[in-house]
Amino acid sequence: MPLPRLIPLRSTTFRLAVLVFLLQVVAGAALLLGLGALIRQQNHAEAVNLAENLRDDLLTIASPTDSRSTLAKAIDERLSRRLSRGIVLALVDGRGQIIAGNIESPLLTPTPGRAPRTLDMVRRGHAHAEATLVVPTALAGGDVLLAGTVVESDRQFLAIVERASLAALAMAVVLAAFAAVVAARQIASRLQATIITLGGVGQGNLSRRVPPDPSGDAFAVLGEEVNQALDRVAALNAELKIATDLLAHDLKSPLTRLSAALDRAEGLVEDQDAADAIARARAESARILAMVDTALSISRAEAGLGRESFREADLVQVLETIEEIYEPVLEEQDRTLSIEAPPRLLLPIHRQLINQAIGNLLDNTIKYGEGPIVLSLELMPEAVLLGVSDQGSGIAPDLREKALSRFGRLDEARGGWGAGLGLALVQAVAHLHGGTVILEDGPGGKGLRVTLRLPLAKAVS
Amino acid sequence: MAMSSKILLVEDDQTTADFIASGLEQEGFLVDRATNGRDGLFLGTDTDYQCIVLDRMLPGLDGMAVLAALRGAGVHTPVIVLSALGAAEDRIAGLTGGSDDYLAKPFAFAELLARIRLLIRRSQNASAPQTSLSCADLEMDLLARRVRRAGQTIDLQPREFRLLEFLLRHVDQVVTRTMLLEGVWDYHFDPGTNVIDVHVSRLRKKIDEGHDRPLLHTVRGAGYRLGAER
Repeated sequence: MPLPRLIPLRSTTFRLAVLVFLLQVVAGAALLLGLGALIRQQNHAEAVNLAENLRDDLLTIASPTDSRSTLAKAIDERLSRRLSRGIVLALVDGRGQIIAGNIESPLLTPTPGRAPRTLDMVRRGHAHAEATLVVPTALAGGDVLLAGTVVESDRQFLAIVERASLAALAMAVVLAAFAAVVAARQIASRLQATIITLGGVGQGNLSRRVPPDPSGDAFAVLGEEVNQALDRVAALNAELKIATDLLAHDLKSPLTRLSAALDRAEGLVEDQDAADAIARARAESARILAMVDTALSISRAEAGLGRESFREADLVQVLETIEEIYEPVLEEQDRTLSIEAPPRLLLPIHRQLINQAIGNLLDNTIKYGEGPIVLSLELMPEAVLLGVSDQGSGIAPDLREKALSRFGRLDEARGGWGAGLGLALVQAVAHLHGGTVILEDGPGGKGLRVTLRLPLAKAVS
Repeated sequence: MAMSSKILLVEDDQTTADFIASGLEQEGFLVDRATNGRDGLFLGTDTDYQCIVLDRMLPGLDGMAVLAALRGAGVHTPVIVLSALGAAEDRIAGLTGGSDDYLAKPFAFAELLARIRLLIRRSQNASAPQTSLSCADLEMDLLARRVRRAGQTIDLQPREFRLLEFLLRHVDQVVTRTMLLEGVWDYHFDPGTNVIDVHVSRLRKKIDEGHDRPLLHTVRGAGYRLGAER
């Protein structure tokens, strides 16, 4: 059996796959975004720290109350030391004019407040503006000291991290989808052995078991439980077989003695009335035997016993043999028997029981039916339809179910042989072959057509 | 026929054993009896017996085990298995297990007798391929598939031909209805209707009508016999 090709939207498997997918995507996104935020925060903190240290250094050299020139000198001195590259220092007056420092462009906006911020600035001797984190400090006289550090490389690094994160996220989506499909498939395939086993059992193959699974997970436990249940069913079946065999033995031995006694009595009596009575007794014991035999055959077939006797046979040939056996007796009744079938139709069957089923149906129509009898064989895509039809009075639709049940005789006054086991046996034989029995009107809405629907052999070895 | 043929009967049920033994003795057989599998196996290895009648369910050693042991020991005496297990599988298992015939209980004594005689006869003349069969003035040419009686050709349908062929192969023997169904059509099931009687009466009409001496006889309570003697 292949894996289910289309996973239904409402199925647990599909929901699980979706859950796996979403969780994977969320986990991936959280990891990447979190990492980005962490790096950003860390860089920012470092830059702020650096800028504040720089500012504090300058302000210890020249206090805010010192004159502009002292501070400007300190700035130039600090810048000339070239100890730390990438620093920005500037003294800006109230109108935005740069008094000292290493930035070139005049600041467009005054920078009130003390909060560190990131601005684009052009350093002296540099062609392009760079992202710079600055800490503005208001001085006396409206001047502002800008101390900062260039964070352009950090920004570029973050941009790269962002791009990489997006790419990684896209990949995570694909991988998550893959993981979801794999998870769903894994579940389906882990259950597959159990499904196949139970499918085989459903078709009557009780010897199938789920293969051992050493993983010990829930699937393995399920398999073990299924196997235990099947063992129990098999044991009950074996007990049933023993019980039916014992019943057969227990009933048949006295029946054998009975017929032996009758045999002997027949040879001893000379009185005609006594001989007639013995003949009647023999007929009755034969009848009991036939009932016991048929009842046992039904039990065994319904229990699935006898599948080991299945052999491939040509059903057309089976019908032709039966036609040959029954034709003379039907001709005596002025009835005809014909076969409508393809030239050949091979199917694994229990030949003896199929013979018995068709024989029962013919015996029925000989006793209760009328008109021409047709044995038909039709090959459908999934089953073979084996039909026996006549043109008699048929069975009323509301009585058909009863007709198929054990001991379900339709007309108690009919007397004669059998105890209403004939059709029950036909049904049991159909069940043994994994099929069903259909009772319907005969051709042209007249009479009865009994069809055995026998499914074609499935690919279950 | 069957001059003092020896038969071994292995059956644990006293009544059934008495019934079979007395019936066989009346028919002129010498019968040795065993009531369990062990004794049956011990006696069965004696090759004097023409046939062994073996019950399937026996105390101690099971009937099928006795059969397997006998065949294993190279004893080829024909064996007919009696069993209360009449299901098709048991019949098949019995036959594939090395028995020559299988009879489900209960059975009419005539059925058992006819089958025993058939087995004894079959083992005596290991049949060479035959091209013709005959009984008195009735002749069957198996190659041309033609039947003549007293020189006159009799027109038979294929099914009648096969029925007559089976009867001719067992000439002077009683064949039962179930033996005919099994032998001619390989049909192991007794129909509820008298299909065989109709077959035989039609055949009888064709081969016996217009002749003084009938060849196809009905044996009351048993079946039919083809033979020159009444």
